[in-house]
Formats: sequence, C-alpha cells, structure tokens
Amino acid sequence: MNAIDAKEMDIRQLNSLLRESVNGSRVAVKNASHIHGLGGGLKHGEVLVQSHAGDYLAVLNDGASIKVFQDVGNYVADNMTRGEVIIKGDAGYGAAQYCYGGSVVIYGNAGDFTATMNKGATIIVAGNVGDEVGTYMLNGDLIVIGNAGKNFANYLIRGSVYIAGEWESLGHNTEVVALDNKDGDKLRSLFEAYEIAADPAVFKKVVAASPKPFYK
Amino acid sequence: MSVVGAFCVSVNRQVCLNALMPGKCATCAEVCPHGVYALDPATGQVHIQNYNACVGCRICAEFCPVNAIRINPAESEYISRHPWTLGAVEEIHHKAQTGEYLLRGFGTQGPTPNFDMITVVPSQIASQEPRDKYREECDLEVVIGEDTCEEPIRLKLPFVWPGMSFGALSKEAKMALAIGAAMTGIATNTGEGGLLPEETWLARGFDDEAFDCQRWRPGGYLFVQWSTGRWGVSADYLRRSDGVEIKIGQGAKPGMGGHLLGAKVNEEVARVRGIPAGSDALSPCRYYDVQSLEDMKHMVTFLRDITEYKKPILFKLGPSRPYDDVAACIEAGADAISIDGLVGGTGCSPDLVTQGVGIPTIACIPPAVKALKDYGVHRKVKLIVMGGIRNGLDAFKALAMGADAIGFGSAAEVAMGCRVCYACHKGNCPYGITSQKPELRARLNPVEAGQRLANFLHATAEEIKILAMLSGHDRISGLSPEDLRAMDMNTAALTGLRLAGYDRPLPFWEDQQSVVSGDGNGQRKHVIMKKRGAQEK
Repeated sequence: MNAIDAKEMDIRQLNSLLRESVNGSRVAVKNASHIHGLGGGLKHGEVLVQSHAGDYLAVLNDGASIKVFQDVGNYVADNMTRGEVIIKGDAGYGAAQYCYGGSVVIYGNAGDFTATMNKGATIIVAGNVGDEVGTYMLNGDLIVIGNAGKNFANYLIRGSVYIAGEWESLGHNTEVVALDNKDGDKLRSLFEAYEIAADPAVFKKVVAASPKPFYK
Repeated sequence: MSVVGAFCVSVNRQVCLNALMPGKCATCAEVCPHGVYALDPATGQVHIQNYNACVGCRICAEFCPVNAIRINPAESEYISRHPWTLGAVEEIHHKAQTGEYLLRGFGTQGPTPNFDMITVVPSQIASQEPRDKYREECDLEVVIGEDTCEEPIRLKLPFVWPGMSFGALSKEAKMALAIGAAMTGIATNTGEGGLLPEETWLARGFDDEAFDCQRWRPGGYLFVQWSTGRWGVSADYLRRSDGVEIKIGQGAKPGMGGHLLGAKVNEEVARVRGIPAGSDALSPCRYYDVQSLEDMKHMVTFLRDITEYKKPILFKLGPSRPYDDVAACIEAGADAISIDGLVGGTGCSPDLVTQGVGIPTIACIPPAVKALKDYGVHRKVKLIVMGGIRNGLDAFKALAMGADAIGFGSAAEVAMGCRVCYACHKGNCPYGITSQKPELRARLNPVEAGQRLANFLHATAEEIKILAMLSGHDRISGLSPEDLRAMDMNTAALTGLRLAGYDRPLPFWEDQQSVVSGDGNGQRKHVIMKKRGAQEK
C-alpha cells in the first residue's frame, strides 16, 4: 500500500498524486488536516486518511472508497454521486449534502444540515446529529442512531428517514410511520455490513406527508 | 404590475374563417396563452371571452390564416387610471378570489431606466479618427481565463447565452442555443437543470456523440452551471464542460432559487436532473455548503481541482450590490463575472419579484467596473453584462461602460420565435421554446432555430463593429465610457456618464473618475473581506 505524507502539500499536489496512484489500489494519506477538498471527484480506488481531514472531503466522489480514521471538517462527501465514504470520528456542519448516490457512514456525531437535499444516497450517522438534518431530501435513506436537533427532516419530499433516538422537533411536511419488514431487513443488513450495534426494532420512520408541499 | 386591460382585440368577422364557417378554424383559441378566445364545442364558434387578459403578444395575429386579427394598445386609458389601473384592480381581485400571489414568466414589464437615454459619441477632428467599417478590421474576440487556466475560452464574438435550464426551456430550444453557439464561436450554458447529452456535441459543432465530423464551424463552448439545487451535477458533468459557472443569483429573481414546477418535470427532465419525475425542483436560495467567503474560495479551488486546472470558473450575480458582490467574486477567484440586471428574464417567478426587486442593468455596470478596477483586474477578470439587452446598440453601450461580453437571454428566445407573452411558466409556449409538450416542441426545429440565433448574433456583431469603428476603435476592449453621453439627468446620475451638453459627469460622480474616464486600472486597490456570517439558528 502506498503512503503519502501531505504535510507540505496543497490540494493540487495531493489530489493529482491520488488520481495517479489510486487506480484500483489502496493509498494511505497522513497529515492532511489542512487540505480542503481531499479526494475530490475520484472515480475509483481506496484512500485511507490516517489524520483529521479538512472541509469538502470527498466532494463529488464518483466511485472511490474513502475512509477517515479521525474527525472531518464541514461538508464531507458533498455532492457525491457514487462510492463510499466512512468517517470513524465526528463530522462537522453539512455532512453528505446534495448526494445522488453511494453511501456515507459517520461513526461519530454529525453537525447541522447533514443530508440536506439528499437525492439518493444512503447516509448513516451512528452518533447524534444537529438541527435541520435531512432538509428537503428528494430521495435516498438517512439513518440516525443517536438523537436529532430541531426541525428534523424539514420539508421532506421523498426518501426515508430512520431514527433510533429522539428529535427536539420534527420539521414540516413529515409523517411518522411504522417500520415494515422491508425496512427492518434493510436496516439490519446495513448495520451488519458496517458493524454497527443497533436494533432495527427501536427505530422510528419518517416519510413525507405530501410529495408536493409548496405548489399543489 | 400586470398588463391586464392594456390592449384592444378586434376580429374582422368578414374574413374570419370561423365566423364564415363555424367549426373550420379555432387557431386563435388554440394558441392564445392567456385564454382571450374561447371555442364553444357545441356550435364550433369562437368568441372573445376576455379582452382584458390580452398582453399584446400578437401570437394569435401571427397564427391567424386570414390575417383577421388586430391588436391595438389602449395605453392612454391605461395610463389615465394610474394608480388604479385595470391591471392593479384585476390583481387584487385575483388575490381575493384565490389567496395566491401572481406567478409569471419572462422579464420586467413597463419602463425602467435603460440604455435608451445614452447616446454614442462619434469620432471627429478633435478625437481619435474613425475607422472604416468596410475596409478595416475590428477585433471582437474575448478570452476568458487566459492567465489562470490551461484551456482558456476564446469567444469569437463578445456574446454568451446565459444560463437557461433544460426544464424551463424545451430540449429543442436548448439544442438550438448550442447550435447557434457552435455557428458563431460563442458559449452556451446549461443553466441549473443539468446537462442535456446533446449539448455536449452540438455546442462544439458536432452533430452526434461520435465527434467525427464538425458540421457547424467555428464550434462553440459549453458552460455548465453549478447552482444551489445542484440538479444533475457530478464530476463528469464538470469535466465535460469548457467552463463552470457558479450561480449566485439572477436578474429576474435575485435572492431566490430556481422554480421548476412538477408539471414540467417529465421523464427526460427528471433523468437529466437526477430526481423523480413529477417532483417540484425548487432550488434553495443559497448554497447549503457555503457559509462564508472562505468556503466560497474553497469551492472555487475544488472546482478547479476537479476540472484539473484547465477550465475557467465564472460567477453569475443578480442585481444587488454590484461593487461588493463583484469584489467578493474577485476575492473568491473568478475568471469571469456575469451580472444580470433587473430586466433579466426567467421561466417562472413571483410577479412582484420580477417587477420590483433588483437594480437596473445600466446601474449595475459602473460599480462592477469600479470593483474590477480597484482590484486591478479590469479586462483580466471578464465582466459579462446581461438583462434586457436587445440589439447592437444596447450591447455597444454596455461594452463601452466597461463590460467585456454580453449575454442575450430574452433576446435569444425572441430570435427563436418568441413573441413575449409572459406565460413561460404555464408550459404551453406556442413556439415550443418553454414547453415540454411534444406537440408544441415539434414546432421548433433546432437547426433552423440555431441558424436564426446565429443570424441574430452575426447582425448584432456587425452593429457593434459599426459603432466601435465610427468611434475610433479597432478592438472592443478599447471602448470606454468616454464614447458615450447620457441624454438625461436620471441616466447621468445612475451611470456617471458625462451629461450631453454639460459634457462632464454630474458633480457627485467627479470623485469616481477611474470609472467614468476609463483610466486608473489598479490605482485604488483595497481589499474587502466580507464574511457572510454563519447561519443563524
């Protein structure tokens, strides 16, 4: 496995090295906490970040697998279309926004506006999340194992939001429904795949009350 | 403001086919976007059911096979009732009956400060001598990203098509814009609705995805828009472009996101936008993933990185605080900045926002130019001006005031056939420009419309050449506000141009000579760092 020390590098140097070296292989990166936009737009390969990471980690990720062993800054996996992003620590504000596909797993906590405008990704947060999480989701799944803040799933349009803990307040255009067997199986297989200790039976499911809440 | 009651509709029943043979023709009832005419299915007769709804587009008159329809303005009565015009009364009735505000398409109605009260100053004996349009050359090329990108854009004419999305426009209209760009060597723009696959090759002048044989020369460029809704955006979307435009706002609805109602989101629009069919695609008014100017700088950096430092990054602004907004774009690292004035159009917007929000295009240019000059980047970071620009005369005036290129949005739609009926949002465009209905789209041939667009641009470019050369220039980058005079106090006050006769700027503009004289690039450099501030909870 290649290892890159990013201590003296900027985004251009690091990402061009990653584009050259991750072609189907694994690359370890250390000392990258000052880099914003690490691994942006990668199409394949596996990147293991062994330090903290800055903002916009894995922005526009298009097929790579990116794993961070510590915390990440704001807007992790922004506008991801394919691939997998795994964060072992906490994520900042606006994690996994505008995603079209792929999966994002955050083992720590995530900040406000996580999963905003999700259009098809599977987003799992094992810890707690902040306010306005899941705002204007158009598709995909959001799974929160801890608690949520205010306006949870505000103006949900489509997609499913699952939560094991409590929310401070639920957003507009939401409806709480019972989990069916398919939901249980989906959650169980995800938890097994990502080795998360959680019982699907304790989850609540939130869906959109109307697919067109603004204009009838 | 509404144009309700501003026009009189009359039908000559001696030649009208329907009057002579009921049931034989109902073209006017079919094409009118506002329901002025009604067809009685029992008798086959067409009658005028609502004179007041006429907006004066004259689509019925154009489609009438026997030329039986006349539309006459009723302006004098319309003005004499001000402020309680029939339009104002009808608007209140509409709200009282439905509880809803007015939505409409296209741009601002009624008079706003514009380029008309500016005149061009020709060269004579006391100035640089004029140049001969018929025997000498005038350089119209504009280069974006020359010093900052590995693949700068070389526009053959100083024009771009502004961002107009697939969804708001039909597929055929988007294809026509791309073909028109390829025929003239300018840039088309995806708008915020995702990338139509055909745009990728048509904009470059190829007629299929094999990129074998270039059919339209010199071939144009493709800008993709990076916007707040991020519809259909991926790394490949950015890499297929020649430049990435970060949309901050637009002229018709600054401070609001795009509106595309579910009725227009058919299967193809949904596929291109990456959302389920039938969903309302309402873009947020701001970027959820930008909280400060620092974040915006990072955004520009990662967009450059993902496009491998080859493609220019542009910004598009609505008409708000041009000096500060342009300064912020420069700070963020823009290669070009589009500024869209009050009169700029849209597919769908609340009427009061289109009508009453933003500052006029002519008043946007001087502060924008001042910001560029204060940073020492005027003519390096390109300024693209749009919003109600109709012809070479308007375009020349904007270029002389300091713009580098011009965007034609509404004018492009008109060049394709639009007659300005203000009903783009209804999705029933009789010319197939702003409709997703197959039977209406079939009326628009992309190649013919592309040729009309190219003809319009060539004619406009010739107009600019005439004006540039008669005022003594052999390249448009040499134009300056000195080539213009304001013809009334209001225009002189808004623009800082010299007032004709008085022959100098109004007194309160005299400390702004770097703007009004065209000199002083970089003389008063100062840096602002205007944080947007974190989102309030």
